Amino acid sequence: MGSVLEMRGIRKSFYGVEVLHGVDFSIEPGEAVALCGENGAGKSTMMKVLMGIYKKDGGEILFEGKPVETQNPLKSLALGLSMIHQELNLVDQLTIAQNIFLGREPRLASGLINYKKMNEDARKAMEMLQEFTPVTTPVGQIKVAQKQIVEIARAISCELCKVIIMDEPTAVLTDRETAVLFDAIQRLKKTGIAIIYISHRLAEIKHICDKVTILRDGNLVAVKQASDLTEHEIANLMVGRELTDTSAAPFTGDPNNIALEVKGVSDSLLKDVSFQVRRGEILGFSGLVGAGRTELMEFIYGLRKVHSGEVYLNGTRVSITSPDQALMHNIGFATEDRKLSGIIGCRSISENMNYGYLIKFVKAFVKKHKISENYNTMRKKLNIVCSGSGQLIKNLSGGNQQKVVLAKWLLINSEILILDEPTRGIDVGAREEIYQIIYEMVKSGKTVLIVSSDLPELLQVCPRILVMYEGRMMGELIGDERTEHNIITLASGLPISN
Amino acid sequence: MTMIREKAKTVLKNAWNDYSVMFVCLALIMVCGMLVPSFLNWNNFMTIFRSCAAVGVIALGMTFVIISNGIDLSVGSNFAVCGVVLITLQRVGVPLGLCMLASCAFGVFIGFVNGAFIAKFNLPPFIVTLATQTLLRSVVKYITNGATVRGIRDPFFTNIGNGSIFKGFPVPFMILLVSGLVMHIVLSRTKFGTYVYAIGGNETTAKYSGIKVNKVKISTYMLAGLMVAIASSIEVSRMASVSPTLSGDSYELEAIISTIVGGTSFSGGKGKIPGTIIGAIILYIITNILIHLNISTFLSGAVKGLVILAAVLLQKRDRAQ
Repeated sequence: MGSVLEMRGIRKSFYGVEVLHGVDFSIEPGEAVALCGENGAGKSTMMKVLMGIYKKDGGEILFEGKPVETQNPLKSLALGLSMIHQELNLVDQLTIAQNIFLGREPRLASGLINYKKMNEDARKAMEMLQEFTPVTTPVGQIKVAQKQIVEIARAISCELCKVIIMDEPTAVLTDRETAVLFDAIQRLKKTGIAIIYISHRLAEIKHICDKVTILRDGNLVAVKQASDLTEHEIANLMVGRELTDTSAAPFTGDPNNIALEVKGVSDSLLKDVSFQVRRGEILGFSGLVGAGRTELMEFIYGLRKVHSGEVYLNGTRVSITSPDQALMHNIGFATEDRKLSGIIGCRSISENMNYGYLIKFVKAFVKKHKISENYNTMRKKLNIVCSGSGQLIKNLSGGNQQKVVLAKWLLINSEILILDEPTRGIDVGAREEIYQIIYEMVKSGKTVLIVSSDLPELLQVCPRILVMYEGRMMGELIGDERTEHNIITLASGLPISN
Repeated sequence: MTMIREKAKTVLKNAWNDYSVMFVCLALIMVCGMLVPSFLNWNNFMTIFRSCAAVGVIALGMTFVIISNGIDLSVGSNFAVCGVVLITLQRVGVPLGLCMLASCAFGVFIGFVNGAFIAKFNLPPFIVTLATQTLLRSVVKYITNGATVRGIRDPFFTNIGNGSIFKGFPVPFMILLVSGLVMHIVLSRTKFGTYVYAIGGNETTAKYSGIKVNKVKISTYMLAGLMVAIASSIEVSRMASVSPTLSGDSYELEAIISTIVGGTSFSGGKGKIPGTIIGAIILYIITNILIHLNISTFLSGAVKGLVILAAVLLQKRDRAQ
């Protein structure tokens, strides 16, 4: 059988950095192909190029043997390509049928919507997926798995539908719901629809997919039959890169000096999470998106309410229910999304740097000379490149913005600093500088927790790494155990085999 | 040479960014002076100053609220209620000082209620203050039975609204300047002021940085309420009466216009007190010149509308640069 879709030598650059280096991909009718790779391997970019959300810089896309040139999401739909996004694009207030036909409602001669035909067609599409909820039910009232089915129904109700892309469809589903989804996928395959399946869960891939395509750092690494590979082999192929210098400086402090201890944190996502971190240690947290790392940090910082869980600082139990209390306990938190929760774009560098200082050390009136003294010290210490203290922070580069955020926490003498994706969107040079700042901090007896999806970064910086999977602590890796392979294995929910 | 020119350009640009309201105000005065020479009369300016004082004082509080990315639509009704509180207490023989204190306390209390609903229940400021606006206006009509309440003329009290310091320089404007100075210091020199800017700029970051966002938000509405009460005292003293329907009517709009024209960003995070004072003056220059030109006062709203559009367009251009 010929390929329904073929992508050849796809190239894509962002800001002069190539992220897809000529990747090939093909899929046949009725086939399910898994697209695997670490975070940042280029899976999403590849699919966005396919859907026409990004414009490709090189290569060609053949759909049923014919080249597709100018692409945009609407044209892709017309071709028979649809994508089901990780975050569902449904309108809760509208009915199932209205959602399925949103934007292409069947009309009567008068121009009004033909609800009879719409509901009938919607019902047919849903029944094909073995889902019998009345199609006049508002989407807000159905379960997440059913919503996923509605999304698929939307894709197949378009008569042309030939390829469906599913991006992490099971990320929010329970096991039972996943089974329902897999049933639907099997049926779709029988009707000749091709499915591109993106998932971090290797067991699922083995279960549902015929072929596996593995990307690594924007290169195609392997195309294999799913039955020829074990889960561990897939993980190996995903990592595979030559390992960079992973010799993080070993922890040299007092192992009995526990700066922070977290015990038995449980809630809707986290499942009995506990850990300890020693004074002067850099502790890394790895795991896939949605593993609960950020949520755990938010709990420590007083942003997330949990069912149960205790925090001990230097052996004393503390109750932190808001960021201002965390601040008073000398805990700092640099979030993963700087723009959303790290900086205040329309205010100056020096103001952004001094918020914590004002809260902690200033009574009522702000002494200008003290503020500018803080600014000058930090600018020199962290080598912040800017035109002056009054420059708006939004006009700085990502690296410099991050340094200002770090300066904010240094100025309140944070004893424990939580860094969530500390170098996301930051170029290599500034990255190294930020690592140096972190090393300086732990040398002066502070404690740093790093959450990162960047494995080489964790391996380079953290002598001890905790790996989480679906809200659970999967394991702890120290010294030589800290390999990319081990991290990926644990992060995929598999035990380490020796 | 080019460097000097570049430098001059930046200096001018910065000056324009910081003082554009002032330039606009001066230009407006010049144009008005050309249209009507008697506009430039000292006494005419004193009239403008006297009439803009009440709205100007309200706008000071509004500036805090808008910088924190809120809005207070209840100020007009609150203004009337504060006036009624003051006059009613005065009529039953309570000492004047206590009457004014009680009026201020009431204004602050309304601000607290607004702020509490907005911050604690996370409701949109527009809706909450629209509700209190409607509620208070209705209450004041009920209490007064719809009739104007007349106050007792007290020589000292009358002076607050009608007095002059020297050469006709009005006391109310003096009050505006003094409260403006205090509010300016609070906004630019205290940590509270810094938090107000921070919350308006990015509430999430403000919260994550450890700022007690709710407390600060409630405080801005309380401050706005206090300013309303002060403004109300000025006007009650001037008029010696409060009308349940007309007092403070559309003052919320005038205060918002003054604030926006004065350069405060409607989306929060930016703005200065001096700008707001000049914004209020500009608003009343427009009303004044229309009277001088014998143009129907019904049209003053149209001119004010155009002024808002112009101010917002100017802001947008600033941001694009």
